[in-house]
Amino acid sequence: MTVVAVLVFVAAYVLIATEWVHRLLAVLGGAAILLALGVTDAEHAFYSHDTGIDWDVIFLLLGMMIIVGVLRRTGVFEYIAIWAAKRAKGSPLRVMVLLTVITAVASAFLDNVTTVLLVAPVTLLVCERLDVNPVPFLLAEVFASNIGGASTLIGDPPNIIIASRSGLSFNDFLLNMAPIIVIVMVVFILILPRLFKGSFEVDPTRVERVLGLNEREAIEDRGLLLKCAAVLLLVFAGFTTHTITHIEPSVIALLGAGLLVLLSRLEPRDYMPSVEWQTLLFFAGLFVMVGALVKTGVIERLASWAADATGGAALPAAMLILVVSAVLSAVIDNIPYVATMSPLVETMTTQIPDQAQAEALWWALALGADLGGNATAIGASANVVVLGIAMRAGSPISFWEFTRKGLVVTAVTIAVVAPYLWLRYFVLA
Amino acid sequence: MAEEFPVVSADAEALEAARLLATQRLPGLIVTDERGKPCAILPASQVVKFLVPGYVQDDPSLARVVDETLADRVADKLTGTTVRKLLPERPPELPVVKADDTMLEVAALMARLRSPLVAVVDGDRIVGAIAASRLLELAMQPH
Repeated sequence: MTVVAVLVFVAAYVLIATEWVHRLLAVLGGAAILLALGVTDAEHAFYSHDTGIDWDVIFLLLGMMIIVGVLRRTGVFEYIAIWAAKRAKGSPLRVMVLLTVITAVASAFLDNVTTVLLVAPVTLLVCERLDVNPVPFLLAEVFASNIGGASTLIGDPPNIIIASRSGLSFNDFLLNMAPIIVIVMVVFILILPRLFKGSFEVDPTRVERVLGLNEREAIEDRGLLLKCAAVLLLVFAGFTTHTITHIEPSVIALLGAGLLVLLSRLEPRDYMPSVEWQTLLFFAGLFVMVGALVKTGVIERLASWAADATGGAALPAAMLILVVSAVLSAVIDNIPYVATMSPLVETMTTQIPDQAQAEALWWALALGADLGGNATAIGASANVVVLGIAMRAGSPISFWEFTRKGLVVTAVTIAVVAPYLWLRYFVLA
Repeated sequence: MAEEFPVVSADAEALEAARLLATQRLPGLIVTDERGKPCAILPASQVVKFLVPGYVQDDPSLARVVDETLADRVADKLTGTTVRKLLPERPPELPVVKADDTMLEVAALMARLRSPLVAVVDGDRIVGAIAASRLLELAMQPH
């Protein structure tokens, strides 16, 4: 059974990485084979937290997708982005910095693909008005989106998986991930002028055309905006008070989504297109396959080998997880990677007596997987989306054009977070 | 049922095609290839879509934030463009009927392909076209 579990898992991974078949077909097919052959069963696949579908992850994603579906109808992102572009007074570098900051902050609370889909059209509008190449701006934004998403529990799907597996709360992410992500963003902004050298020349007469944009027109329904703001405040209050209320983030997100749907009086056709059913099913199939590896003892054996390789020491283990995660997340989707690694890291943490050092392994996994997604054009879903947007806008970005910049960003950001992990969890802990 | 209808070549200037649509208030144009054979129908709505910037198509709320000066200038996009560029990348099935097809056959094709216009052909030769308005006109005549 162990051999079958590994073979099916590897075959599905190859199919996902090579995109020979749709990734949904690969994971659901893999899960179906494992269930049909009895490697796992309904009890383990559907009802076990350790070896089956993590419903907390699925329903947290579903709730947030519905909230975003309503929120994107308010026009608030367009308002903020245009307002910021006007405050930049036509300086392309200032426009880029402000848009990347907005993207990073939005990404902390929304999924990265949604953030990029919201900010890219405004960026194309501003770049057209300034008559500058939009490619550097789109690249900077997608990098910022992947960086910003790392800062909270709900910012990036790998973080949701890690939180559910590790038991780390929204506040734990906020206290451990957000500070280093702020530092990473500052460094990222500092390297922008060098990274996109020669992209900031603008004809001064074009500046007036940006100032002529009317951001107030972006918001059509102020009432809806106020309702969204109120519900979002409640949702985040729910996330941050988890340690007192013990209400799971998935329940809070679903309650928030339900409340927002009731208050907004929108029809399902208005917000349901934001629910990515394929992504949710992909997660479900993935959890069944990874669960089969846990059930058959594969993960435990891998964790044991990893512990032997690092001599059972937490620091080498954390650094190894950070670097390996960054490298592998650059070439394979970070969602299946983290889904596979989470039970492995969970087992490794049980062998480390110091709680802070054990937690460092989780942060290393989150940082490596989230930031590694920037390295190549296929490293994260948001990257693929930006490539599509640029293509349709008539400014195609090649795989290598993306990767040349992405590798630099990943190398710099990983170089920033490695000493943070060492200092915070091993030297100063 | 078929009427004479303006035909444009795929390599004709887009601006000319748009002008034809505008001045004659046509629902669309029949587009022909280099051999004069019909290769596509260019609905007026497709030309309108081409005029709308991609970012506004992705985020319609941006149409409101752009001042009228830019909105007035969108027709400039057609200058230097050919009709071929206005057509969808993957052209849908060509809506053509034969001269002896019934009104119901024409209506069924129009409905299925959501085309405001069908070309009437005899072999490879265009003998006319039927617009949705012409079809309705005939359908509403008392029998």
